[in-house]
Amino acid sequence: MTEPAIDVEHLTVSYGPVPALLDVSFSVPPGTLVGVIGPNGSGKSTLIKTILGFLKPDVGQVRVFGQPTDRIKGSVAYVPQRSAVDWDFPVTVREVALMGRYGKVPWYRSLSPEDYAAAEEALRRVRMQQLADRQIGQLSGGQQQRVFMARAMAQGAQVLLLDEPFAGVDAATESAILDVLRETKAAGRTLVVVHHDLATAAEYFDRLLLLKQRVYAYGEPREVLRADLLTQVYEGRLRVFAQVLEGGDAEERGDEGERADR
Amino acid sequence: MIDWLTELQRSNPHLIKALLVGTLVSTACGVTGCWIILRRMAFLADALAHAMLAGVVAGFLVMKLLFASQSYAPAMLIGSVFAALFTVVVVGWVSRVSRIKEDTVIGITYTGVFALGGVLLSFFSRHVHIDVVHFLTGQLLAVRMADLWAMAFVTVFVLSVYILFYRSLQLVAFDRVLAASIGIPVLAFDYLLTACTSFVVVSGVNVVGVILVVGLLIIPAATAYLLCDRLPRMLALSALFGWTSFIVGYLWAEAVNVAPGSAVVVTGAAQFFVVLLIAPRYGVLADWLRRRRMIPQMLIEDVLRSVLKSRQDTISLAQLVTLMGGSVDRLTQAVKQLIREGLLVRDGENVRLTDQGRDYAMRLQRAHRLWETYLASVGTPQRELHDRADAMEHVHDEQAVDYLDDRLGHPLHDPHGSEIPEDFVHLVPGAVVPLAMLREGHRGEVVRLENESLESDFALGMLLTVKARSRDGHQWNVELPDGRVLGLSHQEADRVWVKLRVE
Ligand SMILES: Nc1ncnc2c1ncn2[C@@H]1O[C@H](COP(=O)(O)OP(=O)(O)O)[C@@H](O)[C@H]1O
Ligand SMILES: [Mg+2]
Repeated sequence: MTEPAIDVEHLTVSYGPVPALLDVSFSVPPGTLVGVIGPNGSGKSTLIKTILGFLKPDVGQVRVFGQPTDRIKGSVAYVPQRSAVDWDFPVTVREVALMGRYGKVPWYRSLSPEDYAAAEEALRRVRMQQLADRQIGQLSGGQQQRVFMARAMAQGAQVLLLDEPFAGVDAATESAILDVLRETKAAGRTLVVVHHDLATAAEYFDRLLLLKQRVYAYGEPREVLRADLLTQVYEGRLRVFAQVLEGGDAEERGDEGERADR
Repeated sequence: MIDWLTELQRSNPHLIKALLVGTLVSTACGVTGCWIILRRMAFLADALAHAMLAGVVAGFLVMKLLFASQSYAPAMLIGSVFAALFTVVVVGWVSRVSRIKEDTVIGITYTGVFALGGVLLSFFSRHVHIDVVHFLTGQLLAVRMADLWAMAFVTVFVLSVYILFYRSLQLVAFDRVLAASIGIPVLAFDYLLTACTSFVVVSGVNVVGVILVVGLLIIPAATAYLLCDRLPRMLALSALFGWTSFIVGYLWAEAVNVAPGSAVVVTGAAQFFVVLLIAPRYGVLADWLRRRRMIPQMLIEDVLRSVLKSRQDTISLAQLVTLMGGSVDRLTQAVKQLIREGLLVRDGENVRLTDQGRDYAMRLQRAHRLWETYLASVGTPQRELHDRADAMEHVHDEQAVDYLDDRLGHPLHDPHGSEIPEDFVHLVPGAVVPLAMLREGHRGEVVRLENESLESDFALGMLLTVKARSRDGHQWNVELPDGRVLGLSHQEADRVWVKLRVE
């Protein structure tokens, strides 16, 4: 049995009296593309920040390739939620990509030509090298998302955590980002992606984690996108998701049809 | 000029010292200010400045009582840094353990510590001879050698910190989560930055006094922020602005004989407002010019709808001008932009809607007519209806429009009797929607029933054909596969979910 890339055990994280995460356990094998779904405030960003080691859990632990989080130092890359970034910060696209290399260079040394080359290469992969000298606030939503993707790639980490990379991007960017995610996965890396669109969740991810403070389901999309579970988690907002559920049902009916044909 | 300076030098033997101290302090303040505004700590800097009074007095007392040394600058410096750090720790602690928000805690703590300084000062008034007026307005005119050395030390210290730890400071300011994940001790850097801020605040107090030192910290940094998109440039420019506001302020203060500290900050503020006005990208003028050149979305949308109203979706520019009025120039620009966005195409002399443009225009039409119906239903006077709807059609967010549609009972016509376009965003083949959204002629398969009483008439998988509505559009009529026609209320029709058939 190979060691899991991410192993989360009995995680409880709280900001106040109400825990943001409660007894969360799951593990992700290497080379998997996992989607995290759940309504607003369900603790998705908190989970990401805890895996990164930014938040300290009250209970439980996170291991990345067997190492506790305070030991991983830079082997986990991260793409923040759009709303968490100060887009007015005086920093250019290239400088953001370079930040991916900061973890590899001790503070008393300056960045090497290889670091610059790695940042440049990452920008090329997300097709942002033309805009490398722009300040990050002067980009479209999709371009902004790609800059942070580049930063994560420049880090060369084995594990990537992305917080809502598809929020506020157009369809073309969405598919471009998806391509990058799949390439990264094909290179053997492990990705955990917070996702808000249930309609595409089954298509994009190998596994889904349905989260609302607790883990409601974790596994193949088909096992997770069940009407009863989604009703429980997205109470009262189900009307919006009727399409998703029906889409799932239709697929099942399609499968049965095939079987009957045979 | 030179004459005037020599003259000044003769009349004021402190001139060179004052200029040197001012240069050091304004540079250190300018650079530190950048970190402060990028980390949104401006209020904290103000708090530190006030808290220092207690520290200065304590430092003075310690030296005086233990070593019998009169106003020894380094001791007062260390005392104030302690007071500042104490304030920061208390602020952090109180906002963690209570529900009081940080800005309130800062307000409480710094006034408290400032007042404590006042109490100490008056209680030990026999021992302490600190000129409170100087503390409030600076003592540039009486700078001592010890002060000069203290300033030099502070400036060199903070600049070295910023240079050595540039990457870490930048990352902690920009993305704490990434910083922490690569092993940068973010909390330690918070305290380091606070310590540096206290140092420069303490040193700045000597120049401009406790009330104005925040100005010297924040104003040059904010001025530079308006001009720069890169942090290294912002740091350099901010130091420069700090220096120019000091030099210019100090010299004119000498010339017209006013308080130099105030003159320095007034100069800085003037500098800021000039830059705010004329900055090439983030300035007020630039913004105004940009906005003038920009075609508002509303004009664009009005043009689209005018083209939709014309025959065969095509219209000449001249017709457009007579139809819409307003400036020909701006209409031409709006049309150009629509062509660029692929919503209109040129067709000889005319412009025509593309499929995408037609969709957009129809969405606007739907929003317009639904708003008009809605406005009428909430009692808007008839003669205002059209103009109000014209303004409201630009609120065409899908969810908002869906809400109106549902609330009005999915009306077919607006108050003038024009047909309201159907919801073609959601009514696409294969979509699952409530029956109530369908129009005459639509066909769909029942996929869900939200009400058990409906199960006597409908079954899952049943194919329905929608007939014309009756009772003023309040009754939905559907034909079942066996030819029966059932009448449903809006509520019932909302509870039958169908999957739209591909026709
Ligand atoms: N810094 C914070 N301080 C206090 N509460 C927080 C903080 N960050 C998040 N929370 C709370 O924790 C819960 C989970 O938040 P979050 O992880 O951001 O959810 P999601 O990313 O799924 O929207 C929410 O109830 C939110 O209000
Ligand atoms: Mg979130």
